[in-house]
Amino acid sequence: MINFEKVFKRYPGNLDALQNINLEILPAELVFVTGPSGAGKSTLLKLISSVEKPTSGTIVFENMNLSQLQPRDIPYLRRKFGMIFQDNKLLYDRNCFENVSLPLAINDIDGIDINRRVRAALDKVGLLNKEKIMPISLSGGEQQRLAIARAIVSRPSILIADEPTGNLDKEYADEIMNIFYSFQQVGVTVIISTHELPITPIKFKKIHLIGGELNNQINNVQLLS
Amino acid sequence: MFNYFHNHIQALNRALVRVFSNFGSSLMMFIVIGVTLFLPSSGLLIVENVSQISNNIAYDAELSLFLKKSIKQDQIDFIQSALDKSLIIKKTHFESKLTAWDKLQSKLNLNPLDTGISENPLPDAFFISLNTFNEKEINTLISNLKNIDGVKNIFFDAGWVKKLRSILYLLKIGLFLLGSILIIVLIVVISNTIRLQTLTHKDEIEVSKLIGATNSFIQRPFMYTGLIYGLGGGLITICTLKLAIEIFNKASINLEAMLGGTFILKSLGWNQNLGIIIVAMLIGCFASFFAAQQSIRKFEIFK
Repeated sequence: MINFEKVFKRYPGNLDALQNINLEILPAELVFVTGPSGAGKSTLLKLISSVEKPTSGTIVFENMNLSQLQPRDIPYLRRKFGMIFQDNKLLYDRNCFENVSLPLAINDIDGIDINRRVRAALDKVGLLNKEKIMPISLSGGEQQRLAIARAIVSRPSILIADEPTGNLDKEYADEIMNIFYSFQQVGVTVIISTHELPITPIKFKKIHLIGGELNNQINNVQLLS
Repeated sequence: MFNYFHNHIQALNRALVRVFSNFGSSLMMFIVIGVTLFLPSSGLLIVENVSQISNNIAYDAELSLFLKKSIKQDQIDFIQSALDKSLIIKKTHFESKLTAWDKLQSKLNLNPLDTGISENPLPDAFFISLNTFNEKEINTLISNLKNIDGVKNIFFDAGWVKKLRSILYLLKIGLFLLGSILIIVLIVVISNTIRLQTLTHKDEIEVSKLIGATNSFIQRPFMYTGLIYGLGGGLITICTLKLAIEIFNKASINLEAMLGGTFILKSLGWNQNLGIIIVAMLIGCFASFFAAQQSIRKFEIFK
């Protein structure tokens, strides 16, 4: 599904964020990108979702070479991903319903379908009763759940979450992780960057980065054995 | 296709919300556009009114065609028939030299014996009323008439109308230049306002880009905002013009006795009013498109 081949990412000032990355992510996989701060976890996720362009190397997603993508094609590619950010990037001048409906409006979905799908997404994350509330009045965990609802409302095949539990206490973090696991169980590829590997019985792949380099790429099946 | 229009309606809704949620500043923008467009529009109003007067006068313009003294009656008949055939001549009046001489003598109380004039000095003449003021057609007619045997002189009696026309033409050029400069001013003002709006909606633009919005999708509400500004400004221009006409005409009627006549300004036609609104909306749309495009490019996240 996603293939990285000899991928380098260098930012101005000769900072190599990623060096010689080779990896493969399969459909419906649960992937954890781990590593300390500055290891290149966020950069890796940005390269997958075409928020950043690799300096060299090839990234292939569904037979598309993302390195050679024309700028006009990028918005259409991004619609295939559901993205969740550490700071959740909610729009605080719009209520929960309007925040979640934004990707559907971008995808030219009609009004009746928008209502139905937004309510389904809010229901999935347990916020259906708060659709008219402004995000500022939600707790940290609820805000992150709202961000998840926005990411899943357009039914993406890949969910990408950049440290989604970074600002949450353990109880909220477990709640959020369980939502991600439930999506993976129904066939969605879930890629999560995190400082610490969560404890889960579900089969997952771990991509560990140190200083921009791939330390190892192992499955928890191997870890357990 | 339905979804495309639905998307436009949503963008229009968002623009309306933006305009009415900051109604104070939106009203200021309407007034700025309205007052700026009032200047060239009032100029257009004056030129249109004066043009109408000059057009009415133009229909009374006359050609005076003086014939040679030695002309014979059959030549006069030939000229008369030639004039009758011309489509741009409304009517002709032939004044024979004898009739003209009699009229002159009776008007000035002259006696030929007293003045020592032994023969009639006046020529036969045609006085021609024209039903056009097209300079090219009139010049063609004059040159054709000049070629007829027996015609001595032709005078076009509308020289001052011509001058008035030239002044109006110059005024129109001046108004066009003034209008162009003011349009540039408006584009700069509206662009700056929209640019500031893009800054206040920076988060929304960034999030929209991250989740797959095209630049045109993001630009759309800003363009509709520009259109609404233009519509509001255009309506203010038209209302201000109406008010100015009312005030002027009332003052003109009040001064009738003192001046011995009135000059009543006529309102611009519905098509001209519509033209003002369309121009204002196009200015708003163009300025906001330009400003939003520049700003959205600055927020480009794909590096």
